[in-house]
Amino acid sequence: MMYVLIVFLPLLGAILAGFFSSVLKDRGSQIVTSGFLVVSALLSWVGFFDFMGGAEPLTVDLASWMQVGDFSVNWALRIDMLTQVMLVVVTSVSALVHIYSIGYMAHDPSIPRFFSYLSLFTFAMLMLVTADNLVQLYFGWEGVGLASYLLIGFWYEKPSAGAAAIKAFLVNRVGDFGFALGIFTLFFMLGTVNFDEIFAAMPGLVGKQFNFLGWQVDVITTASLLLFVGAMGKSAQIGLHTWLPDAMEGPTPVSALIHAATMVTAGVFMVARLSPVFEYSETALTVVTVIGAATAFFAATVGMVQNDIKRVIAYSTCSQLGYMFFALGVGAYPVAIFHLFTHAFFKALLFLGAGSVIHAVSDEQDLRKMGGLAPHIRQTWILMAIGSLALAGIFPFAGYFSKDAILEAAFASGSTAGVYAYWLGVAAAVMTAFYSMRLFMLAFHGRPRAPKEVMDHVHESPKVMLIPLYFLGAGAIASGFLFAGPMIGEAFREFWGPAIYIGEHNEVMEAMHNVPGYVKLLPLLAGIGGILIGWIMYGWKTDLPASLARTHQVLYQFLLNKWYFDEIYDFLIVRPILKLGRILWKQGDGRIIDGFGPDGVSALVVRLARRAAALQTGYLYHYAFAMLIGVAALITYFFYNLGL
Amino acid sequence: MFVMLQTVFPDLSAATPEIFLFIVAMALLMVGVFAPAARAAAVVGRLALLSLVVALVMVLMQDGVKVATFENMFIVDRFAIFMKVLVLIGSALTLLMSGRFFAEMNARKFEYPVLVVLATLGMMMMISANDLIALYMGLEIQSLALYVLAAFLRDQERSTEAGLKYFVLGALSSGMLLYGASMVYGFAGTTQFAALAAVLKGGEVAPGIIVGIVFIAAGLAFKVSAVPFHMWTPDVYEGAPTPVTAFFAVAPKVAAIALFLRVMLEPFGGIAAEWRQVIVFLSVASMILGAFAAIRQNNIKRLMAYSSIGHVGYALLGLAVGTSEGIRAVLVYMAIYLTMNIGTFACILAMRRQGQYVEQIPDLAGLSKRNLPMAIIMMLLMFSLAGVPPLAGFFGKFYVFKAVMEMSALSSGWTVLAVIGVLSSVVGAFYYLRIVKVMFFDEALEPLDLPSGRELGLLMGLAGAFNLFFFPFAGPLLRAAGNAAAALF
Amino acid sequence: MIIASLAFYLFAIMTVGSALMVIVARNPVHSVLFLILAFFSSAGLFVLLGAEFLAMILVIVYVGAVAVLFMFVVMMLDINFVELRQGFLEYMPIGALVAVILLVEIAMVAAAWHFAPEAPEAMAAPLATLGAGHNTEALGNLIYTKYLYLFQGAGVVLLIAMIGAIVLTHRRRPGVKRQDISEQVSRRRDQAVEMKRVEPGQGV
Repeated sequence: MMYVLIVFLPLLGAILAGFFSSVLKDRGSQIVTSGFLVVSALLSWVGFFDFMGGAEPLTVDLASWMQVGDFSVNWALRIDMLTQVMLVVVTSVSALVHIYSIGYMAHDPSIPRFFSYLSLFTFAMLMLVTADNLVQLYFGWEGVGLASYLLIGFWYEKPSAGAAAIKAFLVNRVGDFGFALGIFTLFFMLGTVNFDEIFAAMPGLVGKQFNFLGWQVDVITTASLLLFVGAMGKSAQIGLHTWLPDAMEGPTPVSALIHAATMVTAGVFMVARLSPVFEYSETALTVVTVIGAATAFFAATVGMVQNDIKRVIAYSTCSQLGYMFFALGVGAYPVAIFHLFTHAFFKALLFLGAGSVIHAVSDEQDLRKMGGLAPHIRQTWILMAIGSLALAGIFPFAGYFSKDAILEAAFASGSTAGVYAYWLGVAAAVMTAFYSMRLFMLAFHGRPRAPKEVMDHVHESPKVMLIPLYFLGAGAIASGFLFAGPMIGEAFREFWGPAIYIGEHNEVMEAMHNVPGYVKLLPLLAGIGGILIGWIMYGWKTDLPASLARTHQVLYQFLLNKWYFDEIYDFLIVRPILKLGRILWKQGDGRIIDGFGPDGVSALVVRLARRAAALQTGYLYHYAFAMLIGVAALITYFFYNLGL
Repeated sequence: MFVMLQTVFPDLSAATPEIFLFIVAMALLMVGVFAPAARAAAVVGRLALLSLVVALVMVLMQDGVKVATFENMFIVDRFAIFMKVLVLIGSALTLLMSGRFFAEMNARKFEYPVLVVLATLGMMMMISANDLIALYMGLEIQSLALYVLAAFLRDQERSTEAGLKYFVLGALSSGMLLYGASMVYGFAGTTQFAALAAVLKGGEVAPGIIVGIVFIAAGLAFKVSAVPFHMWTPDVYEGAPTPVTAFFAVAPKVAAIALFLRVMLEPFGGIAAEWRQVIVFLSVASMILGAFAAIRQNNIKRLMAYSSIGHVGYALLGLAVGTSEGIRAVLVYMAIYLTMNIGTFACILAMRRQGQYVEQIPDLAGLSKRNLPMAIIMMLLMFSLAGVPPLAGFFGKFYVFKAVMEMSALSSGWTVLAVIGVLSSVVGAFYYLRIVKVMFFDEALEPLDLPSGRELGLLMGLAGAFNLFFFPFAGPLLRAAGNAAAALF
Repeated sequence: MIIASLAFYLFAIMTVGSALMVIVARNPVHSVLFLILAFFSSAGLFVLLGAEFLAMILVIVYVGAVAVLFMFVVMMLDINFVELRQGFLEYMPIGALVAVILLVEIAMVAAAWHFAPEAPEAMAAPLATLGAGHNTEALGNLIYTKYLYLFQGAGVVLLIAMIGAIVLTHRRRPGVKRQDISEQVSRRRDQAVEMKRVEPGQGV
């Protein structure tokens, strides 16, 4: 019952705020949705501690969804530790974001709609994490996609917001297509979409192959890779990442909730949830590792030169997701989830803090027009400092524990891909610390670059916005050392129970505690080093960045333009498709289909109609004649038929 | 010397409704002549309506056991009862909607209801015919009354022209029918349906019989206005007074279809393989022409003429199938067809501008603003005629196509037929939808009068409701039609 | 027997020939006259068949009433038949084609004439009860018993024809003087005669 409440209270809130906004008004819808979310969050924590205390995993059956032949899908909530961790993350961050939004969106004309969307998103996300089968997972998956689309395009009057929403939706479709194919593959081979049944059947599938267009392909690898394509789309991994920075067109709380803490981690969650599938495919895991590491590195490089405060954080999100994926890839699922957990707090903190900054400087997002804000918004300054340190992985903040663990696990895996991931990860860690410092220095220190009238209005955010920030700040500080022990320590198996499957040969969780000292130390040093470089460039020798950019023009442009991904896609995919579409539209549809189809047919019909009407001359003898001819024709036909 | 023939006095009980109507018709003539001239027409009209209802009750009270009387010339079975009920309903309802029209045209005469009653009598005789001569007699009684009705507005050139055209072509078709009947008699040696069925059990069939059947089919096709014997329909529908057109569109069609079914299945049922081609040809040609020719019509009565041609095509498709499933589909189709046409003609009769009856489609422009309920009912009926689910018209077509598709297991030709049927109903949908478009989206030139008269409103409402809420009626109707169809096998 | 055969061929040829002339004759009056001739010769055929009653009825009804009525109509209506015939030639070829096809087909039917096996017994049935006695009596016996239904039906047809004729043509013209016998007979003196006292020297 508790879990039903957790999942469905947000839906109820969404419905109330969405359909009864005329009754509830702004204030009412804020109270309803936020209130429900807080209840939901509290219940989640209750459940979490229940599980910490040793509660058994359970499945809550809700209803039968579809029943076709022997194929059946049920609505059910699958509650185990993995779900539980996700529930805590999602409901907590969502509740805080709801509350924060009361302040942040106070001047928006369509508040009920915003809150309704937020709650709808939360519901879909909860559906996703509690899914008991692949179809329900897909339902939640698409649900969050929809909510994300609605929220990115929340300010639909802005063309850029609309375009970003469409882009997010379309790019996600690519991933979703892969995901759907993965589901089909599993269903095709196993005849079920239920997790328990799939997991139970996995050992039997090892080594099985099936024929695809003449290729013999391994079933598990294919299915895993297809599923991973879905995860790449949703979690903005390299190649399908292009939508995430653009998604920052949405309101900042949305960025915090959806595009940092929760939705984008759905891919990580999915891979962890399907760990019993991925564990059986070495190839798939290697791909996950390589892609994850590449993303971590790539996004970090781009993050170093961005000027929009939210985009910097967006690329940092992308990069951190890369960390999570290569943690998954090396088989350290608990570590990945742990990083997801800590990341949710400090990234939400960073985003909401950035929101607070933006709020302070009259909705300006360009870092180049900030600076010198620290004295004016002291509380935000502290909170952003906490968030940045956590992100940079400085002891004892949350990021230190999780990021360190990931890098250790990557090294400990011993595989080529793992070592490759380790070194890319360390490099990314330096850059992460650097751009965190850069952002921090540009925003809060130095000479104020904003116009005078803006500077005059700089003010600290209201309490309703700051209190959630404090909660998140506490999380960013404490979630690391509090939960590192149980989640990834020696006793991690007791903590996760059956939620995460780790193969017998997979020793990475044990091995990661026994890596050489330098491996453990390097990430921290990288963080400190990055911070130092950042301070040198933006706090001490402030003309250095500009001269560096001048001297390394090509590199700078390459990074500033995000490795030209958008341009390449535009050239390789968008333009040819548009051209093809134009051809199909003008020639195919207009000339061939319309010409021979609707237009041609209707012209033909008109001609025939004119003929048919012309038969009706009004002359009696014509009519009589027609009758006689009819009879004669029929009789002739019969004679012909009888062979006479 | 005088020879007494050993004849049993015929069992009149089976024919009570017919005898009743006959007596009523003569009594009404007397009433009409002797009642005060000013009120005669109204009184006779009301009495005629009443007697049709009484006849309906009498038909309904018959128990459906197969009885043949009058030396096997007259038969009553469930099929006859079902069809007679439809015919009587059709006649009664069209009579109900016609009083006002003739009153306003200053042409209200007491002969009109009497002729309607006599025509109905003829139709019932057709339905119960069990002999080629009896068939012809019923047909002539009906047709003669209809010729007069078509020309009833004798001062209007259009009306008299319609009557004359109908008469001449009708005579031609009767000639063909008689010619065919005489050939069948010549080759089979009998005119009795039962005896014919015994003679024509299949096997080798004389060409004379087939030629005879073709001629008979041609005569009947004229009555149901199937292509190419349909030519009279648009002109007569347009020219005849609107209530008469309504009458034409429902009762005689139902009766002629009933006759068609009985003739084809009872005496000639054994050689269905021979005549099926004829029916298929008539059906396909009717469906196609009904769909295409209606597109360019501007006169709504003319349009309904083509619409009825098309609908007859679908009904004949069921006959072509020839299974009890197919016949049931035809019966259901005719029942639904009846309601759609009654409703539509009630709407057409309500089309008046400044007291004048109008019948052009553009006259309907802007009806939705002037009289929304009527526009909605008309829209429902048009959708139903076009066969849009979930309205009744859809189910009519659905059962027919279902019966056809069940045959497609035997030969792929049936699938082609079903496809032609569906395609032509798609084309046909165009002109029905056009009326809806005119009613709802075109600007009114000059608004129509609000319909006055409870009868029209009542009929529209009933027809609209039946077509919209067909589901509850579907079960009983299907059952009754199934029983009726079973009587022919 | 040979005389009977000769008579049959005579009447048959006359019937077909005069029927042909009905539609070929240019003058409509001639057409009607040929029609009458056709009726007469078919009556002769009936006599040869031993159906005297039908023969007489044909002469009385068709020749005596119908054809004469036709004649009246044709002579009273002022129709330009030449003009009516103008369209005839235009449709002649195709009309002839259809006619020839039909004719050939029917000839083929006739050529393939054979009864269905059960036909003879079915055909014999209606005559079985026909007793001795003359034609009229036999017909009467059949019409009022076996064919009662059809006889009554035919009566209805005539009734409808009558009603139709009245409805479509009868007009009550105002201002026309009609004789009403019952009114004339029932007139009393005081209605017909008015007594006036005429004053002397003043006039009426």
